[in-house]
Amino acid sequence: MLRGRQDKDNIHNEWCFFLEPAILFYYACTLAVGQGLLSNWEIAMLQLDNRILSRVRLRGRQSGSSASLSRRQFLAGGAAGLAAFGVIADRAHARGLRTRLNRQKKALRFSPRAVALDPNILALIDRATFGFSQATYDEVFAIGQDNWIEEQLDWGLIDDSVLDTMLTAYPTLMMSSQEIYAAYQMNQDVPQFDLWYATLLRFVHSKRQLHGRMVEFWTDHFNVDIQDGLEWAFKTADDRDVIQTYALTTFPQLLNASARSAAMLWYLDNYTNQVGHAQENYAREVMELHTMGVDGGYSQADVEEVARCLTGWTIRNQPNFGEFVYVPQFHDTGSKTVLGNDIPARTAAAGEQDGQDVLDILATHPSTAGFISRKLCVHFLGYDPPEDIVESVKATYLSTGGDIKAMLRVILNAPVLTNLATPKFKRPMHLVVSLLRATDATITDPLGPLYMALLMGHFPFYWPTPDGYPDKLESWATSALPRWQWCTWLFDGSLAQYVDVDPDALIAAEGGNAPGEQANAINRILTGGRFPPSDVAILQDFYDNAIDNDQFAIWDTFGLAASLPSYQWY
Amino acid sequence: MDNENLRSVGCDEYEDWTRRRFLMQSSRSTLSTVATPAWLPRVVLSGAENSRDTLVVVFLRGAMDSLYTIPPHGDPNYYAPNLRDPTLRIPPPGDPGGATDLDGFFGLAPQMSALLPAYQSGQLLVVHAAGSPDPSRSHFDAFSNMEYGTPLQTSDLYSGWLARHLQMVPSATGAALRAVALSDLIPKTLAEAPATLPIADPAGFGFPGRAIHATERREALQLSYSSADDPLPAAAQSTLDTIDLLGTIDFQNYAPVGGAAYPETPFGNSFKSVAAMVKADIGLEAAMLERGGWDTHSDQVGPIQTLMTDLSNAMAAFHVDMQNFMNRLTLVVMTEFGRRADSNGSAGTDHGHGSAMMVMGGNIDGGRVLANWTDGALLHPDLLYQGDSLDVTTDYRDIVAEILQNRLENPSMSDVFPNYTPTFQGITI
Repeated sequence: MLRGRQDKDNIHNEWCFFLEPAILFYYACTLAVGQGLLSNWEIAMLQLDNRILSRVRLRGRQSGSSASLSRRQFLAGGAAGLAAFGVIADRAHARGLRTRLNRQKKALRFSPRAVALDPNILALIDRATFGFSQATYDEVFAIGQDNWIEEQLDWGLIDDSVLDTMLTAYPTLMMSSQEIYAAYQMNQDVPQFDLWYATLLRFVHSKRQLHGRMVEFWTDHFNVDIQDGLEWAFKTADDRDVIQTYALTTFPQLLNASARSAAMLWYLDNYTNQVGHAQENYAREVMELHTMGVDGGYSQADVEEVARCLTGWTIRNQPNFGEFVYVPQFHDTGSKTVLGNDIPARTAAAGEQDGQDVLDILATHPSTAGFISRKLCVHFLGYDPPEDIVESVKATYLSTGGDIKAMLRVILNAPVLTNLATPKFKRPMHLVVSLLRATDATITDPLGPLYMALLMGHFPFYWPTPDGYPDKLESWATSALPRWQWCTWLFDGSLAQYVDVDPDALIAAEGGNAPGEQANAINRILTGGRFPPSDVAILQDFYDNAIDNDQFAIWDTFGLAASLPSYQWY
Repeated sequence: MDNENLRSVGCDEYEDWTRRRFLMQSSRSTLSTVATPAWLPRVVLSGAENSRDTLVVVFLRGAMDSLYTIPPHGDPNYYAPNLRDPTLRIPPPGDPGGATDLDGFFGLAPQMSALLPAYQSGQLLVVHAAGSPDPSRSHFDAFSNMEYGTPLQTSDLYSGWLARHLQMVPSATGAALRAVALSDLIPKTLAEAPATLPIADPAGFGFPGRAIHATERREALQLSYSSADDPLPAAAQSTLDTIDLLGTIDFQNYAPVGGAAYPETPFGNSFKSVAAMVKADIGLEAAMLERGGWDTHSDQVGPIQTLMTDLSNAMAAFHVDMQNFMNRLTLVVMTEFGRRADSNGSAGTDHGHGSAMMVMGGNIDGGRVLANWTDGALLHPDLLYQGDSLDVTTDYRDIVAEILQNRLENPSMSDVFPNYTPTFQGITI
């Protein structure tokens, strides 16, 4: 009797979470019995695009259509502002838009380079960061590539105080799921926007660039859609305590953290997985997408057995809502067989070990080593990485217990990068971030650049299906227009209220004011001097013809340069 | 989903903007005796004509309450005291605020009555108790199931049903833009569709940047992209072609005919843009519009009346405006699921199952309501789906498949809707 009483109390304390109306609603939906309780966030989900859009005021203009009022132009300032578009001349208008807060800062960077940059360093920067910038080049050059890689791998020691100061503007970043849930039920936008903004600022400004590239990778690998149900409250902790914390540890550690993350338990429904009501969603995806790969050698029977092992792995309510809890009463205590491994019958109290056994089996499985290694190679080296490199990374995985740093040392090895890496097409966030980095831009409002990425179909934590944003050429090389819009508008003042970029100061600092030197200077600023000669000729030709009657020709030359195909690849 | 947005951004600004546009437009339309409308393309596509219908898909996101928008006033259970809050059902025809009768059994909510002329013309078909048979009541899952065309299936298919149709049926005209989504991102219905772009505002799909030297910038891009690695040359060319294509249409001065008046809303403007593109004969085969806001969990009446007005006025205007094109046009309206038969404690309705569809076109056997309304009493408690919702008695795939096969010349439904054999309902003429 006493025992039963205790259990009941435990149940109440630990997982009366299920009695929360919102949770109950989702739980009910999952079981298709449709309680259908009112939920504000659901309405919010459907309006998320609107919420992003409603904050954006773009001044993007289309050539030759000053009389045509597009939606975005309308958003730029309403009818009164738009009337101005028709009557104010291009250059005067753009000049009026431009703020030049940091012109002086840029002017300090005068360092024209006569000598070509080291292609090995450039190759490393391309792959290990979100894009070339002179500052990053100088960093690597100063200490050498190997030291720089080691420094990047030991990311926690890198001073990132400039970024940290920026991020103090977003207090929810440091909150627990419980704190966020309690404070923002009526303002669910807040934690999401904080996370979106912080993500952009990190990618652009963090000194821990390789860590950022791995966060990008694992965010897609362990995809969670922030639009899904309670993820507005859960994703912040998942990003901080799972993805960022374990991005450069070992794969088993990362997998374990993800399996116990409320965001993942929610997104793939394992929080509802109970004896007698097995929920296979996570069980399937953890094998198909997180570890072994779809052809990794598991069967439907394995999926069902893994689901049984993971019964009772759910989300805690009180105290510490949003943390992992194992609920013995939900656990299937029978014996199981997973991938040929016997998992013995255990008491309910000891049943959490079943799930742990599964994660251990998966993390050490050769299919997992191969799947993760190949995906890492695709991320860093190209869409079709050489088989021997993949094999060598896989061998490293197996010999080090999935040590991510050890695998990256193999991949980022200089001869590999220089000789075997093939060009990849920048995904939209990459294009946006790389251009901000190359131009040393000051982001005054992250929403503008993020919105431009959204127009290209890419936005942090916004991919609905568990496979994560694709890393395939054909997925992204579709409409060029939003890319050209971003690249053009960044330099012509259209985005001035979001980003401060000063093309005139950039070109002056790079010694690009001498006749015939504009294209070379832009080439150095954007790529470290790697545009093909034909593109440099196209740019210089454009500038030379335009400058006759356009004193702001350099703005458009920058925009044109960034729009070129060469800048879409890395 | 973009569509509510502008209203909430700043209604005054929005009203000013639309008023300006429509003033411009109406001053233009006084000159409409000119044989060729001024907004028509300056170029004409060469090559064969599409013999297939252009398909316009309207997705009502949030799950439309078809028991309110298209009341089954002939089902005695509809007025049963305990079915739902009386404010959440439409009184019988003839009563104050009563339904506009369609066929003696079904009617339209008063705010939907703008659709009556289209219905009476025989070109509008209503399909009730229709939708996706998938049991999910999650918007998220329901979108996926419905738009990928895989309800009740475990599927790793991530292309939309409409996209697969376009993949299977080559463009007759080699059009640069075969399908368009009037949104920022490609909806799942069109995921992986060839020659398809998301264009929230076709009037704004112009070459970006300052007008001065735009031609030269464009030429420079064209030159550089022409020798880029695949698939960039084709992608850039398709983008430029679409810019040119849409640039030939003067959307701002587009003048609807027949006195058609599109609602001065973003949704209405999207419809108007589609009308302009279809009339311009640019080879467009499909367009998708979305209208969100139907997730009426609380205080349903006000919001849903606004939605119905917007929807019905836009469709009615489209019907009038496109009258001379109706023989080559089919429009289908769908939603991810319906709402429960009963109301909740917040003067709203929660997630249910069956809803309704509408189909409009010159070759649609309309002027009737298609419904398998068992014993005229599908709302009887014993017949409710899972005891609480209108059932799905017509699978949306049956409707869509018949349109695709009979009006869009698709030869193989099993590729559009895998593992499903559609049952045609005789909706096309």
